[in-house]
Amino acid sequence: MSDVLDEIAREVRENAIVIYMKGTPTFPMCGFSAATVEVLREIGAPFKAIDVLAEPEKRDAVKSFSNWPTIPQVFVGGKFIGGCDIVRQMHDRGELAPLITAATKR
Amino acid sequence: MVNPDEIRTRIESALPGARAAVADTTGGGDHFEVVVRAAAFAGKGLVEQHQLVYRALGDLMPRIHALSIRTEPS
Repeated sequence: MSDVLDEIAREVRENAIVIYMKGTPTFPMCGFSAATVEVLREIGAPFKAIDVLAEPEKRDAVKSFSNWPTIPQVFVGGKFIGGCDIVRQMHDRGELAPLITAATKR
Repeated sequence: MVNPDEIRTRIESALPGARAAVADTTGGGDHFEVVVRAAAFAGKGLVEQHQLVYRALGDLMPRIHALSIRTEPS
C-alpha cells in the first residue's frame, strides 16, 4: 500500500491537474467520472487521467490518500480539491478556472 | 438497500442542528442526492464539509452506490 501511496503522491506532485476516475476520458465507466471530465474539458487545460479500474491497486489507495470515500477525485497543484459535486459547484461559481490557471503556470 | 430516512437520521444526529433532505434518485435504494444545511459547515471548505457528511454516513457508505452531496452553511 505504501508504494502505491508514494506513486500517487508523485503523480499529484508532477502533474498540475490529475483526475482519478473510473474508465478513461474517452470511455468513462461512471456518470460522475464522465461529468467531472466534462468540466475539466470545458476549462480546457491538459489533465492527467488515471483509470482506477485499469490500476485497481489505486482505487482504495487514493481514497485513503485523500481521506475521501468516492471516485472520481481531482487534484490541482498537488492538492485534493474534491469529487464530482465540488468540482461542478466550483466551476459554477467560477472558482475552478482561476485555480487551474494558477496551478498550470507554476 | 438503504432507506433515505436512515441517511437523513444519520446526518442529523451526527451534526448538531443539521437539516438534511434526501432523495432516492432511482427508487432502487442505492442512488441518492442529499442536501445538508448545518452550522458545522461554517468556515470550512467544501472538502471538509463533504467529509463531515461522509463521516456521518459511516458504514452506510459501502452500501450506497452513488451519492451526490450539496452542503449549505445554515
